[in-house]
Amino acid sequence: MTNEPLAWYIAGPLIGLIVPILLILKEKQFGVSSSYRYILSGITKNPSYFNYHREQDAWQVYFAIGLILTGIIYNLNGYDMNALKTSVGSVKFDALTSGFYDLSNWAIFLFGGVLIGFGSRYSNGCTAGHCIMGMSQLSKTSFIATVGFFIGGLIATYFIIPYLF
Amino acid sequence: MKKLLNITSFILLGIYFAIVLTEAQAISWYRIQEMFYFQSFHMYGLLGSAIATGALSLWIIKKFKIKNLNHTPIEVKDKPFQWKANLGGGIIFGLGWGLTGACSAPLFISLGLNWKIGFLLLLGALVGTLVYGVLKDKIPH
Repeated sequence: MTNEPLAWYIAGPLIGLIVPILLILKEKQFGVSSSYRYILSGITKNPSYFNYHREQDAWQVYFAIGLILTGIIYNLNGYDMNALKTSVGSVKFDALTSGFYDLSNWAIFLFGGVLIGFGSRYSNGCTAGHCIMGMSQLSKTSFIATVGFFIGGLIATYFIIPYLF
Repeated sequence: MKKLLNITSFILLGIYFAIVLTEAQAISWYRIQEMFYFQSFHMYGLLGSAIATGALSLWIIKKFKIKNLNHTPIEVKDKPFQWKANLGGGIIFGLGWGLTGACSAPLFISLGLNWKIGFLLLLGALVGTLVYGVLKDKIPH
């Protein structure tokens, strides 16, 4: 496995193409995080947020199955999530003894997951639905959400992560 | 049969998206850290060119009134403008993105790459979604 990423000017357009592909083939607007709501609505109808026409979001779970399957295939081929520890830019990850992707960091994954779930539903979209789809629509809503994503990310990076390791 | 085909097409699109994200290393906490430290153009180029491609596609669809496979006009809906929720929720989501290096799609890819870490992320995300459902009417939108 090489540590060089697929160039952004190839990968970016390939990602952007999801927008017209979904609209033309499937009449869907790109998004991923509604899948959380769909999954929970299969377990409970209370509170009323989970009592809705859930069929509209079912496709995101099928899409997520494709994401998981791809992860499994990379995993079976020996993909190392920590491979970039020593090779990325000039960011220093020396404080990480065993790499970020380690179960000793379980609390970060769990608590970070809570923030991802709560935040994406509160802002009504995530990086897919707001950053890529919404910004492609030049939507004011998605612009504000994207600004929020970066404010939160910068706070986490400069004021939280340095104190965790 | 039609339903199976429908499901399969979404799974295939998910596989396509996951391969591009993984190959571009956008699923990596290390790349996300690098992005927030402004030490590489990679993620900005990635997001920027993805948005540019999406925007150009939408412009072409509108301009040439391109129809979907069912021969009906393509409608693109705007999400409701609720700046307190969009910004506040966005900041909370961003905190999770910065902490874990994962957003929603990489979260699912992680589940395949390392099911223990992916399970923690997904469990957290579902708890967070449940908390939102409970608090929805009590927080500003």
